[in-house]
Amino acid sequence: MPRSRVLRRVALRLAGAVFVLWAVATLTFFAIHLVPGDPAQAILGGPGSQASQEALDRVRADYGLDQPLLVQYAAMLGRLLSGDLGDSYALKTPVAGLIGGQILGTLVLALLALVVAWVLAVALALWSTSAGRAGRAIAGGLELTAAALPHFWLATVLIAVFSTALGWLPPVSNDAASGLVLPVVTLAVPLAGFLAQLMREQMLQALEEPFAVSAAARGETAAGLRFRHALRHAALPAINLSGWAVGYLISGAVVVETVFARPGLGRTLLRATELRDVPVVVGVVLVVALVYVLMTIATDVVSRLADPRTTHSGGAT
Amino acid sequence: MSSRRSIRSLPALALVASGAILLAGCAPSDGDAAATGEPVEGGTLVYASGDAEPTCLDPHVGGNYPQALIAGQFLESLVSLDEDGEVIPWLATQWTASDDGLTWDFTLRDDVSFTDGTPLNAEAVKVNVEHLQNPDTQSSTGYLALGKVASVEAVSDTVARFHLTVPDSALLESLSQPWTAIESPAGIARGMDENCAAPIGTGPFVVDGWVPQDHVSLVRNDDYDSGPADRAHEGAAYLDGIEWRFIPDSASRYAALQAGEVDVIDNAQPDTLDQASKTGTLVEIDAPRPGASNRIELNSGQAPFDDVRVREAFIRAVDVNDGIDALFFGTAARSFSVLSSVEPLAYSDDALFGTDLDAAEALLDEAGWTERDADGIRSKDGVPLTLRFPVSTNQSIPAEQSLFEQVQATAKQAGFDVQLEPVDLSSWYGALAAHEYELVSAPYTKVGPDVLRILYHSDSITPAPSGYFANLAQLDDPDLDALLTAAASESDPDARASLYEQAQQIILGGFYALPLYDQQNHFLHSPKLQGARAMPTVSTPTFADAWLAD
Repeated sequence: MPRSRVLRRVALRLAGAVFVLWAVATLTFFAIHLVPGDPAQAILGGPGSQASQEALDRVRADYGLDQPLLVQYAAMLGRLLSGDLGDSYALKTPVAGLIGGQILGTLVLALLALVVAWVLAVALALWSTSAGRAGRAIAGGLELTAAALPHFWLATVLIAVFSTALGWLPPVSNDAASGLVLPVVTLAVPLAGFLAQLMREQMLQALEEPFAVSAAARGETAAGLRFRHALRHAALPAINLSGWAVGYLISGAVVVETVFARPGLGRTLLRATELRDVPVVVGVVLVVALVYVLMTIATDVVSRLADPRTTHSGGAT
Repeated sequence: MSSRRSIRSLPALALVASGAILLAGCAPSDGDAAATGEPVEGGTLVYASGDAEPTCLDPHVGGNYPQALIAGQFLESLVSLDEDGEVIPWLATQWTASDDGLTWDFTLRDDVSFTDGTPLNAEAVKVNVEHLQNPDTQSSTGYLALGKVASVEAVSDTVARFHLTVPDSALLESLSQPWTAIESPAGIARGMDENCAAPIGTGPFVVDGWVPQDHVSLVRNDDYDSGPADRAHEGAAYLDGIEWRFIPDSASRYAALQAGEVDVIDNAQPDTLDQASKTGTLVEIDAPRPGASNRIELNSGQAPFDDVRVREAFIRAVDVNDGIDALFFGTAARSFSVLSSVEPLAYSDDALFGTDLDAAEALLDEAGWTERDADGIRSKDGVPLTLRFPVSTNQSIPAEQSLFEQVQATAKQAGFDVQLEPVDLSSWYGALAAHEYELVSAPYTKVGPDVLRILYHSDSITPAPSGYFANLAQLDDPDLDALLTAAASESDPDARASLYEQAQQIILGGFYALPLYDQQNHFLHSPKLQGARAMPTVSTPTFADAWLAD
């Protein structure tokens, strides 16, 4: 690939990323202001505290909440451009520090869930493509059910079974690794349903392809055929889906972190939205968008490595 | 609790299973200590709060119930209440008011220091009042409570003199609340950021650290010896410390208690209490919050509830008794008062709240709401009889939200179109500020009957859309205003009680509110925890005398 084309491609990607971030910040800012609510209440203590009129007026003036919305929007953009996420209304601390303190927990949760989802999906796809018609029907049912499971329901059932009834795992997260098991499984199972469905269809398709037929003719075993040839074929769309999956997992973290009482960005976002803590909401959404953009780029690279065609043919996707 | 114990096959099976796990997993919990009730030193209590995590641990800033819950562990107030609601000494040993009620002298204990070593003295009290009254503190609850205090003067080291602008019969009640607790002046001087992270008080525990969204660590104050006059024992707490966790989900919180991960949970929901009573081991503390009861306010400031006949028709039409019994599993008693049952001056009149659909229909016909559409919804001059009911999903528990659906269904029989609007807290505040409601349920916790002035005096109505206001019934009655103002300055207890009774008769008799039940406040704890109680002030738990039996 010529150097100039690489540079142009990188520049386009960067411009796209900046556009996505700007659009996300703008949409979030106006969406949160469309819903009725008063950040001044949040600043003055939120639920249950009965702020006086003078206190509310003073806070609105202090934080510029009495300014026209477009002025507030411009102020926010200016701040964001200089790399400043601002201060939380409710906590009165810098948003960057707040996110920094919570992001690791959520990323660990999301990445572990992604890995577990992949393991489950690959296992299910390998098994179901060899298990004949009945196996496929069972797998199809499992995948559909898993993909449709709401996180909240799954979390509640897992707690009822594995902590309350069996006593094997803690119902709320703790310092030990055992506290991570239920949250990760809750997030991973529905995603595994999506991935397995996609992979199974792709594998079945691949097994019909001429390359699979000729490999079989060369004496490749049935297992080897699926593992070495079809799986690689099926993994590509699943890898591309993983970029989307990280966004899905982080939004799932809002529920999972709340149910399992785990600190993280999901809970930060939920609370900030309830309180109309605009700088925190915009900050968290921006960071999640950034992670999403980076993951999309990463899956792009990985899928190029996994698919020899893309490296030889000069970057057509 | 054991009186409601009943055995059904499935829960019984689960009980046997969990009992087996308990037996296998740990030593018998009913050891000698528990049997004899002999306190045990040491151990860390794990408390799981379902309330929102405070954004600031200093209850002077803002001032809400989640702050009060935790602040009671490390801060103390000038006075407290005993179980009969009588004011008793705490950091102040005695107090006297001048004849005109404008000057109050509080004598302080002379042997108490804050946990940073700063002595408790009159100057410290003065600094605290000034901190609460400084707009930069952004206090709302404490600020309102001390609204009649003009200044505090340090007469001597141990005598703090409060100068009032008008006599305040609620002063002692206001000072008993955690929102006006006394903090170290040196702690306050560190500035809001540091003081929010770890306020410094004289209480049985000290804030040691705060991991946001996870827990606050509290450690024992070894020098502690300054509890309220009704404290069970002297000296430092038995516990080494408290791990104060935040577990927002109700089912997870209960599961954590069952699994032994935590020792106490707050905000136990009706279904949880019902399950817990069947275990026969978990212990419940039922501590209704003081101040107002939970009630549905009828907005009398605009049509259709500006007509008393329509208000009465609504109250006649709506049946809540069966709903409360069924949805709250018998854990909440029906109230017929706008004040909490823990308030000694609460006035109750169940005769006003009988249901009678025919009477409701007749009242609406008389008031001119005679046209009915295909669904049976009434209208008058083409305007349908619509009642907007914004419901705060943060403040109304699921059982209460279901109860409101029953309100909707029963009101419809008389021709009301109740439009339930479940919204988050900020949207809810927004709807109220814009006067976009006819019905609303809003909790209000405060010690003493002066809460009536905040909730029903016409001064508490603010024209839309300027901000939150407390008189959500928009009750505007000069006679009532006069009674509430007089009661707030009345120093004679009998005269005060009589004024508040007359005031409550006006509120109930005018059908401005439909009382439901006390503000529910249930705690569940493991049988290992002994000696815990809820403070008679704002019903927050205290662990100054608590221990964990082996």
